[in-house]
Amino acid sequence: MALSREDVRGIADYARIALGPDELEAMTAYLNDTIAILDPILQYDLEGVEPTYHPIGDLANVMRDDAPASGLSLDAALGNAASTRDRSFRVPSILGDGGAA
Amino acid sequence: MASFDQLSAKQIAAGVAAGAFSATEVARAALDAIDAREPRVGAFLQVTPELALDAARRVDEARAKGEKLGALAGVPVAVKDNMNLVGTRTTCASRMLENYESPYTATCVQRLLDAGAVPVGKTNMDEFAFGSSTESSAFHRTNNPWDTERVPGGSSGGSAAAVAAGEVPLTLGSDTGGSIRQPAALCGVVGLKPTYGAVSRYGVVAFGSSLDQVGPFARTVEDAALAMNALVGAGRDPLDSTSQDCPVDFLEHLEDPVEGMRVGYIPSLMEAEGLTPEMRAAMRKAMDAFTDQGAELVEIELPHMDAAIAAYYVIGPAEAFSNLARFDGIRYGYQEEGCATLAEQSAASRAHGFGAEAKRRQMLGAYLLSSGVYDEYYFAAQQVRTLITQDYARAFERVDVVLMPASPRTAFKFGEISDPTQMYLSDVFTVSLNIVGNGGVSVPLGLGEESGLPVSAQLVGPAFKDRRLLTFARALERAAGARGTVAPDFAGKGGELA
Repeated sequence: MALSREDVRGIADYARIALGPDELEAMTAYLNDTIAILDPILQYDLEGVEPTYHPIGDLANVMRDDAPASGLSLDAALGNAASTRDRSFRVPSILGDGGAA
Repeated sequence: MASFDQLSAKQIAAGVAAGAFSATEVARAALDAIDAREPRVGAFLQVTPELALDAARRVDEARAKGEKLGALAGVPVAVKDNMNLVGTRTTCASRMLENYESPYTATCVQRLLDAGAVPVGKTNMDEFAFGSSTESSAFHRTNNPWDTERVPGGSSGGSAAAVAAGEVPLTLGSDTGGSIRQPAALCGVVGLKPTYGAVSRYGVVAFGSSLDQVGPFARTVEDAALAMNALVGAGRDPLDSTSQDCPVDFLEHLEDPVEGMRVGYIPSLMEAEGLTPEMRAAMRKAMDAFTDQGAELVEIELPHMDAAIAAYYVIGPAEAFSNLARFDGIRYGYQEEGCATLAEQSAASRAHGFGAEAKRRQMLGAYLLSSGVYDEYYFAAQQVRTLITQDYARAFERVDVVLMPASPRTAFKFGEISDPTQMYLSDVFTVSLNIVGNGGVSVPLGLGEESGLPVSAQLVGPAFKDRRLLTFARALERAAGARGTVAPDFAGKGGELA
């Protein structure tokens, strides 16, 4: 079933990408076209086939030794942020109606 | 006077070590070559003369003190702009990261520097590596040095073009669905995607975390091998949990004969829709080159290859959506001002910072990971991944290497492919390797008779047999007598080495 513009608006909200009316139209067409090229994976009988999530099958968590080591400095970590205050990232209200940042 | 663009990385390192020229002279020649050629190529997003001359001076000082020089000592290199390098911005060719200063250096880049390489700049790419033509760069286009009205391929188009234009002998790219092998094919240079896990991804901006792999571009297979020694020689990287130990000397068996070895090919692929007659001719040339050297051609099948593009365009966008969620405008990246809430700020920042294709891929990924759709597509794609992996495993029980096209066609014109889903088919011969993780390499095979543009072949090896893969690539290069060359319009233009 083809995606509607309303469906695509919902996906955009979920993806946190604000789309203008023209973009919404083009995105709807794009998603429907692209989903059509995904069809081949629905054509195989996959009953009982185990999924492969990663090319390295036996991948395990790697833990380093519990020894002190230096990491990114605070200045370096904050250096690319658009807005900082008191050695922290500054963000607008999380709960809404908190006024502009 | 010699033009530095006629020297391979190996020759430059040997010349610096022997004192035929200094690393500083080479760095100046590279910077001159870049200055002279960039107006017509546009391979670079940043050129870094200070970093280059500093690194070159250190090499010259080390030599003067009689210290042992690294294998890449004095070799100018450039890296794709999704790799962090302290002292440069890492933009991913996106407005989102236009002002992002690298807070640390990626392991792959650091290892080149540790081997004495001289960093001359960061190369253009499709935005966040989403594309096959470098047209989605937010900043400027990169021209194919063989015909500046045509694309260099992508997404590592700048890295391929810089080598083909003779601006630098060695570059790094990243390959998530073909982004090293396809631009290498279109620019007539060698491009290696090593096996997933061979090269550390630490400090490389992630696109598809189970697919991404870093690898070299060069004009000769030997230079690619030299770069691999630097990239993997120090062993696994503790900063990347997927990094694997693969301590091999890539130069050691490079010249080994391939007599008696088995080269697989897929008859149905030779007849694939969209594969141009020139690329078919290149495949036949490669097959003849192997039989001339005593290798045996063996017919194989990869029965689930026709589902590879579909599986890739599920897995890739799903992983990209997850990875690019971090660009919310808070810790780094573009931030929209004057927003009342965090959600509004995030949506507005992402709308402004990302270009059209980056939005499309993330929207597709968001859809595919949504409730209900996940089982139908994402889970199924991972099951198909198992089938394709088994196809390759069965093939490699019978053959040592598989020969296939790298690209369905030679370089296309700017704007020629405007439909995104048509552009996705540029990766038809490359994506399956990212799905299974194995290594693959594009080898230039001269020019197409009709187009006069570079044609190429792709060789695919078993997992972590990348050294042997390069032995086959070298055999093909030797037999075809067609090592990557600097495009004639650019050869010798700037960059004289006394």
